[in-house]
Amino acid sequence: MRALVCIVLVVALALVGCGGAQKSDTIKIGWLGPQTGDSALWGQAEYNTVKMMADDYNTAGGIDVGGKKYKVEIVAYDDKGDSTEAVNVAKRLTSQDKVVAVVGPQGSGEAIPIAPIMNDAKIPCVASTATNPKVTVTENGTVNPYMFRACFTDPYQGKVAAYAAYEKLGKRKAAIFMTIDDPYSTGLAQYFKESFEKLGGKVVEQVSYTSGEKEFRAPLTKIKAANPDIIFIPAYYNDVALASKQARDLGIKQVLLGGDGWPSDNLVQLAGNSLEGCFFINHLDMDGDAAKPMRDEYMAKYQKKAELNSYMVHDSLLMVIDAIQRAKSLKGEDIQKALTSTDLEGITGHIKIGPQNDPVGKTAWLIKIVGPDMKFQDKFAAAD
Amino acid sequence: MTQFLQQLINGLSIGSIYALMAVGYSLVYSIMNFSNFAHGSVIMLGAYFGFFSLTTLGMPFGIAFFIAACGAGFVAVTLERLAYKPLRDRRAPFLYFIITAMGASILIDNGVIATIGPTPKTFPPELLPSYLQSGSIQIGTLGIGRVDIAMFVITAVCLVALILFIDFTKMGKAIQATAYNMKASALMGINPNFVIILVFAIGGALAGVAGVLYGVKYQVFPQMSSITLKSFIAAVFGGLGSLPGALLGSLLLALIETFVSGYISTQLRDIFAFFILIAMLVIRPAGIMGKSAEDKA
Repeated sequence: MRALVCIVLVVALALVGCGGAQKSDTIKIGWLGPQTGDSALWGQAEYNTVKMMADDYNTAGGIDVGGKKYKVEIVAYDDKGDSTEAVNVAKRLTSQDKVVAVVGPQGSGEAIPIAPIMNDAKIPCVASTATNPKVTVTENGTVNPYMFRACFTDPYQGKVAAYAAYEKLGKRKAAIFMTIDDPYSTGLAQYFKESFEKLGGKVVEQVSYTSGEKEFRAPLTKIKAANPDIIFIPAYYNDVALASKQARDLGIKQVLLGGDGWPSDNLVQLAGNSLEGCFFINHLDMDGDAAKPMRDEYMAKYQKKAELNSYMVHDSLLMVIDAIQRAKSLKGEDIQKALTSTDLEGITGHIKIGPQNDPVGKTAWLIKIVGPDMKFQDKFAAAD
Repeated sequence: MTQFLQQLINGLSIGSIYALMAVGYSLVYSIMNFSNFAHGSVIMLGAYFGFFSLTTLGMPFGIAFFIAACGAGFVAVTLERLAYKPLRDRRAPFLYFIITAMGASILIDNGVIATIGPTPKTFPPELLPSYLQSGSIQIGTLGIGRVDIAMFVITAVCLVALILFIDFTKMGKAIQATAYNMKASALMGINPNFVIILVFAIGGALAGVAGVLYGVKYQVFPQMSSITLKSFIAAVFGGLGSLPGALLGSLLLALIETFVSGYISTQLRDIFAFFILIAMLVIRPAGIMGKSAEDKA
């Protein structure tokens, strides 16, 4: 008994000792994303992932930076998917919490306004799914030195979607159904249209709705009258599910095509069989081999399927850790410099950062919805 | 021509949902002279009652539907007892009623977000009767959703039953009398408290029906209540306090909306809807069917 008490005391002392030392030997990495609000599902998936990864690094003994082991600590804040809130959170992370780097946010609407803050604080930020070009390159064409991303951009995605529609699926007449007040949707629609027409296709009808709307039959009837070969819907899964159901009710039988707003575990559940045989462009094959280790670990830990954002934020954090290790430093400037020469293999494919701080030539994946499954069809890289 | 007919069908189907919701606004207004902005939240709760009775409790659809109607009716009456009755007893100005209603609405909506969560839910198709499953009947190139037909029929049955009830039963007469003049009818032996509870119960039950139908057609989600704002506009458009007015206003508003977004642009739709509301209030404040301020219901 006495021996046991002794052991407990020794262990406790050791832990206290560690605790004291840990403070100085910790790398603080910030995360921001929506934990409440409409896109909370994805933010929650990201938060779970970064927590899981930090635990993994720490149980493996921490990260080696210039010969010294550091523990990883994630400082997480809810940005509510709101731009003002994201700015507040970014300020807090850079000035109060003194993080060395930030991963997230997921939305372009949050990533664009925090860019000046990251630049001023000289702390690099690697966004997960913010695909709008303006995240890394400002309106007047200069690069935001401290903003990076793990995903491809909307012009690239639009081009890939147009290529898939025209070349892979052999469609010539397309209609576009988009959210008018969402830059992601309108941007992607525009890039799709440009590329599709460049390839020789024709956009026969382009209609829109306002976000929050649930009744789409009037604009969809317009699409039906135009009789396209394929309908491109650059929107998020919930709207996609409603639109596809209503389109089928109207007797629209055409194939629907979408972007990275589609993939969600909830999509098919909400849409029923109305999306059978439809396609979307994704950042990875979520059911593929590359994603398997993380998919299994996430499922074992949270009893939930990992969402697209889990894989994306995984690669964001991977880029940050890789840059810290290569920089052998915890200074923002050094990490930023190392990030510009990122060249690694992530779950979502090969990530090589180009001159505009975006991954170049990233693989895009064409996925088909078959029953409840999302089946990988084809993958292609830069089609410049 | 096909597109015109298709848009007409779309409009009628949207109008029938508006109508079920608008009737609740109108009924309460006819008796209490204020717009019960918590009505949308009762519709939302009705949808959730139906959804959980069907999925979690595993009830057959008919019973789930009934529970939704009763549950929503119960919530509406409870709301009246807890929130509006104290105000009535103190003879508070009508503005207080409207503010209380808005407060109750925000409370209920956020309560649902906090407890059930903001993620939208869909009625599982395998648990629905065949006439409410998605899919459509094709006549030539026209597509008429099966849900739309069912909704139109259910709405029509509910509204006809309500009009018969109000015109041909003693209780209905009591509602009419109270709407005409609450004090005088109270002196004639009609208990105004009873009439008010009755009106909230009927409005609430119809809200439950509307909520379930809306949930089946679209989705069940906490922000549903804000969407019912359109049905309020329809009620004002048709003449607040008039049942046939609410019906007519709903169909007209839905048709205008559908044709504006179908032939002009979706972005202009709400501009049109609210413009009509304002124009109506300026030109004919009582709405299409609304009579003078005293002669309602």
